[in-house]
Amino acid sequence: MELTLAQGIVKAAALLGAGMCMGMGALGPGIGEGFVAGKACEGIARSPENASLITRTMLVGQAVSESTGIYSLVIALLLIFST
Amino acid sequence: MELSVEYIRIAAYLGAGISVGLGAITTGIGSGIIAGEGSRGVMKQPQANDQLFRTMLIGQAAAQTAGIFALVISMLLIYGGFDVADGGWFRAAALLSAGLAMGIGALGPSLGAGYSGGEACKSVARMPKHGNAIMGNMLIGQALSQTSAIFALVVSLLLLYSVPLQPEGLAVGRILLKSISLIGAGLAIGLGTIGPGTGIGYVAGRANDMLGRFPKERSKIMRTMFLGAAVSESTAIYSLVIAFLLIFAV
Repeated sequence: MELTLAQGIVKAAALLGAGMCMGMGALGPGIGEGFVAGKACEGIARSPENASLITRTMLVGQAVSESTGIYSLVIALLLIFST
Repeated sequence: MELSVEYIRIAAYLGAGISVGLGAITTGIGSGIIAGEGSRGVMKQPQANDQLFRTMLIGQAAAQTAGIFALVISMLLIYGGFDVADGGWFRAAALLSAGLAMGIGALGPSLGAGYSGGEACKSVARMPKHGNAIMGNMLIGQALSQTSAIFALVVSLLLLYSVPLQPEGLAVGRILLKSISLIGAGLAIGLGTIGPGTGIGYVAGRANDMLGRFPKERSKIMRTMFLGAAVSESTAIYSLVIAFLLIFAV
C-alpha cells in the first residue's frame, strides 16, 4: 500500500509511542516487583515457618503490580496493529 | 528524500556517544556502592580483609558488564564500517537506535548489580565464615539482573546488522514510518530494562543481606529470590517482544 506523508507521520508517531509506552511502562512494575520479592526474602529469612504464606502474598502482590505492565503491553500492541 | 553518507555518520557517532555516555552513569554508581560497602566492611571487620577485598573486586567486575556492553556497541558504531552510503534512512535510524537501546539499557542492570554487590560486602563483613556462600549468591543475583542488559545488547546488535536496506523509490511516508519504528524499538527495550534490572538487583541485595543474618535459611531465601526475580523479569520480556515487533513486523 502507498502512504501519503501525513499518514506516514501519524503511523510513525503511533509506533514511536508504542516503543516509549512499553519501555516506560516496564519501569514501574520491574522496580515494584523487585521490591516485593526483596522484602519477601527478608520476611522468609526472619520467619521461615511462614514461608508458604509469605510466598503466596508475594506472588499476589507481584501479580497486581504486574497489571500496569500488561496495560502497557496491550496499548503498545494496539498502537502497532490497529492504528 | 536524498541521503548522503554524512547523515549515516552523524547517526552512528551520536549513537556511539549516547551509548557509552548513558551506560557509564550507573556503572560508575554501582561500582562505587560496592567499593563503599567494601571499605566500611573492612573498617568493621579488619580480619576479614582478604575475603572482603575479593568479594568487592568480583562484584565490581560483574557490575561493569553492562558498561562494557555499551562500550562494545560504541566501538562498533565508530569503527564497524557503517560509514557507507547504502541503507538510507533505515540504516541511519537503526544506528542511532542501537546506541539508544544499549545506553539506556545499561542504566538499570548496573544499578541493580551494584546494590546487590554492596549488600553482599556488608553481609560478608557481618559473617565472614559464610563468605563463599554469600559471594555465590551475589554472583547469581548479579547475573539475573544483567539478563535484561543482554536483551538490550541483542536488540542493539540486531539493529546494527539485521535491518534491511531501504528499497529504491519508496514513498516518503513509508520511509518515515519504518525509521521512526526502529527508533521506537530501541527506546522500548532501553527504557524497558531499567525497571527489571533495578528490581532484580534489589531482590538479590536483600537476599545477600539476609544470607549474612540467617545463613541456615539459605535454600528458602534462594528459592524466593529466583521466583521473585523471574516474575520481575517479565516486563523486560514484554519490552523485548515489542522491540522485535517494531523491528521485524512493521
